[in-house]
Parts: sequence; C-alpha cells; structure tokens
Amino acid sequence: MHISQNSKVIVQGITGKQGTFHTQLMVNYGTNIVAGLTPGKGGQEVYGIPVFNDMKEAIQETGAETSIIFVPARFALGAAMESLNAGINMTCIITENMPVFDMIQIVEKAKEKGLYLIGPNCPGMLIPDKIKLGIMPSDMCHYGDVAVISKSGTLSYEITKAIGNSGIGVSAYIGIGGDPVRGTTMQEAVVYYSEDPRTKIIVLIGEIGNDEEEKTAEYIKEHVSKPVIAYIAGKSAPEGKRMGHAGAIISGDFGTAQGKIKALQKAGALIADTPWDVPKMIKEFH
Amino acid sequence: MRLLEYESKEIFGEFGIPLANYITINSSDEIEEKTKKFSYPAIIKSQIAIGSRKKAGLIKIAQNQEEAVLLCREFFSRKVPGFVVEAIIIEELAKIDQEYYCSIALDASGRQFYLIVSKEGGIDIEEVSKERPEAIIKINFSYSIGLTENTARAAATQLGFSGNSLQLGIDIFLKLWEIAKKLEAHLVEINPLVMTPSGLIAVDGKMILDDDAAFRQPIVQNLQEKKLSEFEKLAKTAGFSFVKLSGEIGILANGAGLTMALLDVLSKLGLQPANFLDVGGGASKERVYKALELIFKLQPKAVLVNIFGGITRCDTVAQAIIQALKDFSDAPPMVIRLTGTNEKEGISLLKGANIDVFQDVIDAVKKVKEVLSE
Repeated sequence: MHISQNSKVIVQGITGKQGTFHTQLMVNYGTNIVAGLTPGKGGQEVYGIPVFNDMKEAIQETGAETSIIFVPARFALGAAMESLNAGINMTCIITENMPVFDMIQIVEKAKEKGLYLIGPNCPGMLIPDKIKLGIMPSDMCHYGDVAVISKSGTLSYEITKAIGNSGIGVSAYIGIGGDPVRGTTMQEAVVYYSEDPRTKIIVLIGEIGNDEEEKTAEYIKEHVSKPVIAYIAGKSAPEGKRMGHAGAIISGDFGTAQGKIKALQKAGALIADTPWDVPKMIKEFH
Repeated sequence: MRLLEYESKEIFGEFGIPLANYITINSSDEIEEKTKKFSYPAIIKSQIAIGSRKKAGLIKIAQNQEEAVLLCREFFSRKVPGFVVEAIIIEELAKIDQEYYCSIALDASGRQFYLIVSKEGGIDIEEVSKERPEAIIKINFSYSIGLTENTARAAATQLGFSGNSLQLGIDIFLKLWEIAKKLEAHLVEINPLVMTPSGLIAVDGKMILDDDAAFRQPIVQNLQEKKLSEFEKLAKTAGFSFVKLSGEIGILANGAGLTMALLDVLSKLGLQPANFLDVGGGASKERVYKALELIFKLQPKAVLVNIFGGITRCDTVAQAIIQALKDFSDAPPMVIRLTGTNEKEGISLLKGANIDVFQDVIDAVKKVKEVLSE
C-alpha cells in the first residue's frame, strides 16, 4: 500500500536498540534503506547507512519518500510530524503505547497534506519477496494473490505463516495495528486491495473493540466483489476488560466479536472459526 | 481507564461545572462522622463500576441520618462478583424539571470527536441510540478546530435552552471539551444534566482517560496506582498485560490477538482459562519467568504456553520455563507450544530437560484437555 520494491526508506530512531535490530532484518530482506534519523547523531553510520539529524536534510541527500518510526511513545508525535512536514509519502509508525490525542493530531496533519500513514503499534507492511517495511517475521510467505489485512501482530503472523506453508502466496501483508486511532483504517486498506489488480482474495484479521470491522463490512457489502475471508479474535472475551491492545475492549454490546462476525457475514464475507482454518478456506477459491 | 461518578465529579468541580451538593465517603470508618454533616432526605449512591446501580439496589434515598448510616454500611458490605463499592456519594435531592444527556466522545475510527446531547437524560444512551436515534443530537468536530462556541450554542438551542440556561448550557458543553482536551479523555459524560429551578446541574457523570498518556497526566498515574489490582500492578511493572479470568487453565502467550484466539479455541472446547496474559514483544527470560510466577499464584490445574516467536525468541522462553519448573516444585502440569524465531534451539532445550513441546496449537490444546481429565 503506497510502497514498492523501489521505495527509498528512512528509519527514524535507527540508533535505538529496536531501530538498529530491525534495520538489519529489513536490509537483509532487500528493503532499500537509504538513511537513518536520530537527532544529535548525524554523521554516524549504522550498517553503512548514513545517519542524519534532520529529515529535510536526509531527503535532500537521498531522495527518500518512505519512513518507518521506532522512537519511544513520548517522542513519536514529534517524529511523525517531522516526517509529514517534510512531505514523506508513507510513514509507518511501529511505536506502541502512543497517547491517542497525539495520533489524532498526526492523522489530521497527514490528511491535510494528502500523505499516508500506517500504525501506530503495528507490525508494518510486507510485499513478499519485494519489500519489508516493518517488524514481521521475514519467512512467512512468498509473493502471490492474497492480501492479508490485520489489526493484530502475532496472530496475523500465525495465519500468514499457515497460508504460506500451504503453498499460497500473498500480494501484501498489512498490519494496521491494535490502537483505537489508526493512520490506515481496516476499511482504507480494504478499499486499496479491492482495487489492486494483483489481489484476488482478501483475508481480514480482526479483534474485539472499536467499530472498524462493522464499517469495513458496510463497505464490502456495497463495493467489494472479491472473496473476503475473515477471522475475529475475542469471541470469549469478557466485557469491560482491556485485552492487551489499547483498542481491544468490549463495552456493552459494542465491539463484540459476535457483532463483527454478523456484520461481515451479512456483507458476504466467509468467517473462519479458528485461525488455522484460513488456508483451507482460501484453497476453495484457488 | 474508566472513572466512576465520584472521580468524574471531582474533576467536573475543578473545572467549574455546577454540581448538586454532595459529599464522598471513602471508607466505612467515615460513615458516622460524615453523614452527620449532611441534611436529609438525601440520595445515597454506591460508587461501583456496574451499569445500572439503581436496578441493583445500590442507589437509595435516606430520609434521615440513621437511614443514611444503615445504607452506607449495607452498600460497603455488598458483594458483587468482580466489583467493589469503592466509595459512597451522599447527595441532595435535586428538584428536577427536566433531565438531559450530554457528552464529548472520541470517535476513534472516525478520528474525530462528537458532542452528543439529548433531551432524554438519565437513560442508557446506547439503548436510546439504537431504538430511537432521532432522540439524540450528534455534532462532530476535529481536534484542531475543537468545540466552538457556535457549535455548543447550536446544541444548546436544539435542546430548547433559552435565556439564562442557554448560556449555562453552552458553558457546560465548552467545559466538557476543555476537560477532554486537557486530560486527554476519550469520554466525558454528564448523565443526567438536570434543569432545576435554580439552573442546570450535573447529577451523574463518567469519564474514560487514556492509560497511554500516564507519563504526562499525573491524574492517570494516581488513578492507576489506586485502581489496579495487585496482579495487574505486578504485570504492569514487568511489562506484560494481564487480565484475571475465572477458569482453571493458566495461559501464557505472546501478542494480544493470538492470546485471544487461543482463549477462543479453549472455550469452544469447554475449557475455561484462568487468565489472559500477553507477555509482550521481545520478552526477556526474566519477564517470562515473572509471568509464569504470576500464573502459578492463580493455582491453575494446568498451564498452556503458546509462543509465536517474532521479536520474542523461543530459546529465551524455553530457558525461563526450565528455570521456573526448577524453582517451583509444586508447579502445575505445563503444556508448551513453541514456533518461530529460534524454534529449534528452544525445542531442544526443553527436550533436554524432559519437557514435552508441541509445534501445533490444536495438538497442544488437546493435550491440555487430556491433562485435566487425568
């Protein structure tokens, strides 16, 4: 989604522990990382990648148009704003535990400038065998025609790996993240991949909380003719308890797994009973 | 984090939202002393995180101090599974001409805010919005523009406010937004907002604050300190997320979605988990060990470990399990499934210590069922 094999990527927070570690994994995958950014550490190098103090300077020197953010939560607002103000086309925010009010401001800025965001608290995006912009396992699957769009991290690894192991290829893996306010919503990702000519089947991985699946279902009903297979986690979750993700909480009968499943079924999506049923269901269409 | 009426009203008061006269009783020791200082009849309201306090008999009217004392004692000793009466509010009986609803709510998926008002206060707003959505007025606005005086005026006018109450209503709506913005609230709600002969007052309220803003919101820090259970605090310090459930199988997994999916598979097979525990990304040996220690404290009949290593390494998890089983001789039977990063190393460590490992989740869950029936 808004990235390709040719994307030139800047890593914000490249000198931190996570930033350095995942930079190496992304480079190994073949991602074209052209610069790192850490204020005060300009002039250094990480795996031969030049580090800059300032986003505008980094863009001037490298021509980057994509960024991935690894800075701690309290600095993520500043990092994302710097990226957006410099005109970076796609900013991927890996950072978890970001205050919601920061994210609201970031999304408003991106909309105002016509730029794209994904995350926060997300695994990022993978176009198998082409580019990895994120922290997901590198060996889940090869390129193919199934788009996987997920709110959750490890659960989507589990499902994507099962898809890969069964010999099915993936056109894109999109981890939109588990926070309540997201740079890319589930619906926005579905819109993109329902129009993507290389994608034949869409897999949605949702969970309790929020109304994203319900809104996505409304869109699918009216606009999507490709097969949609969905798994929703949290069928047995109790009300009022936050299950790990900031967004994963049921309040009243709002945000329940049952409600989401019903909405998606009404829209014509097929529902997987367990995560491990997804590959067989895809095969029905192949 | 959800705030109860007494916590919300303290904030409303600080921001100048008019309230009915009330006092808060924080423990049974304060009952005698504090009830003396109030005039009766008055309404006695338990502060507990359940939906309909009235229906549960946790809000009642006291005609005199004697009755107030009895009610307070009764409420503090009331057992509601999973909940506690944190405090009690004694409040003057407001002369009600009309009840309204008003709130500022974050629309997370819409990435904006709503001012929500209704002429039907005191009721469950979610129910009304389903049955008669026309009874509710919702006006959206962005963070950067905020709630403007004009928007607040439009809402107050639609509620039929005029004269003095029009300005009062506008002020209250603007204050709700001031509170939301300043304290980073996902919800600030007055329900009901009551029209009395002397003007508008907030009679009940609730708020939801952002746990992730704790680092710059002292009020969130203080409330976390007060509200989290011993187990939840332990989990928070160690860096994993934990929810106590009522079953008999201890759960340790990584990732919120994967953990939930595992609980779903268990409950479908009629197995009840004792907890939700997402050990988090890139867990160290110490963190996994602490998680196991916490799970053992719940005294489950079996423990199921399900790890899909991404940033988390299977060998680290295996080392923690081996250490925990060495240190806790009375540990319950463990069923372990490991896959992902450093899977081979993890499995061979466990096999070396004579611990069975599964690579398939369903096989592991079946094994748990077997262990329980033994």
